[in-house]
Amino acid sequence: MYKIMMFEGGVYKFNELKELIEDIGGFILQESVMQTETMLHLAFPEEEERVIRDKIKDLGGKFKELPLAGAEIVIIDPSLGKHHAVDPVCDIAEFFRRKGAITNMLGLARGVGQRIAQMTAQERAIIEEFDAAVFVFGCFKECIEEKVRLCAMLDVPYMVVGGPPDLEVEHYVGGIGRKTDRMRRKGEIDILDDMTAELGKIVDERRREIEEDPLAASPLFIKDMIEMVIPPEAGEELPIIIQLDGLRINIEEKDVGRIKEVEVGKKKLSEICDLKKSLFKGYLLKIRTEAVTGSVF
Amino acid sequence: MEVKVEGGDDFANASYEKICMSTLRDVGVRSSLDLVYMYCNPKEHVFIVSVKIGRVASPIKVGDITHREGENFRITNETYAPKLLALLWEMYGERVQQISRLEIGLKLEEKEVDELKELVVYDPREDLVARLLDGMDRIFPEGARVRSTITSTGRLTIIASENPIGEEWKKKAEELVSAHV
Repeated sequence: MYKIMMFEGGVYKFNELKELIEDIGGFILQESVMQTETMLHLAFPEEEERVIRDKIKDLGGKFKELPLAGAEIVIIDPSLGKHHAVDPVCDIAEFFRRKGAITNMLGLARGVGQRIAQMTAQERAIIEEFDAAVFVFGCFKECIEEKVRLCAMLDVPYMVVGGPPDLEVEHYVGGIGRKTDRMRRKGEIDILDDMTAELGKIVDERRREIEEDPLAASPLFIKDMIEMVIPPEAGEELPIIIQLDGLRINIEEKDVGRIKEVEVGKKKLSEICDLKKSLFKGYLLKIRTEAVTGSVF
Repeated sequence: MEVKVEGGDDFANASYEKICMSTLRDVGVRSSLDLVYMYCNPKEHVFIVSVKIGRVASPIKVGDITHREGENFRITNETYAPKLLALLWEMYGERVQQISRLEIGLKLEEKEVDELKELVVYDPREDLVARLLDGMDRIFPEGARVRSTITSTGRLTIIASENPIGEEWKKKAEELVSAHV
């Protein structure tokens, strides 16, 4: 099991940290160097945390936990109209990103109203491509209780964010509702922290489920193998997005054949993964479990 | 402007009070209204917003938003700059030069300057109702698309719902509005 964390610090002996991560079998997910400041998203085996922490202490950098790292989240709004966007959905998305998640926003075509709210089959299929969904609803208790039926159809874990502070809905965080300005006050930031913690629980639950029936190979390892064959183009942003049980790869159709031939240990990628075109963006790689494929080494 | 919201739970009432305040400020009608009353019935999905129109601000003249600096004019309130420039170009054509963001070059005689200062750049009465309707549309929940309007002098009331609005709700709205607004 890999742990994902963020390192922030200077460039002094920064290469030593990168080498150490490679030596202990870890990965660098994101790297950005801004003049003398560096930021790294690191993934390493959980048991090696002490070694990494000690090294970072030597270098005088900062270490931050990213509880949502490695998860791709979709934030769902009843519509992208001025009633719901940009506040509060952008604040919610920003908070998830600060905790390491990759976020996407989806406005439903006919999600507004109480009785008339709907979700199309295509919207449902798109939402199910992600690791978890976050529904952002309004201020009225009656309305949220009615609209929760939309979420219940989904096969992915979800949480609901709304206005009334107490509501008997699973994975519900209240105190937000409709907003007309940014959530920047202390009380509002505390609510956003609670919301991130709740999503963290959902993601951890899903991680545990995956751990019980482990994948043939970690998505982090597969990402590395793919990048060896198809290196990311300069300036391309997040060509490969890590999910909890797979990857989203933004490649062109001509590269699909090459992707299938990528070697992961003793097997080819097509033997351990299901590849399908995403309805949203790029291609989705869902990794089969080790029980199905056998060991890759 | 006073805002009163009733019918929902405490959280919803407080939220909608803030929404009314900031939305009507955004559309620029807050100072023209005396009272805003909102009634929410989320169970039956009926929302009523009623506004009492108060004293509307007087027209903005060129003299109010500019001052003369030699042969040029300096804009003192940038909010009305596009409207001012459009007016001047229409009146004086190519004689008007926009020297910088807040500076307008226009050579005029003293007599003409006095006339210019009295020109009306913007009259808030012109589009008050349009801005008010836009603001009210933004306040109602997005799903409440069926609308019914009750008008009387100095007062505008809109009932909104996702279901057809029956006579009983129209009557109730009139009762509520006459009691509060």
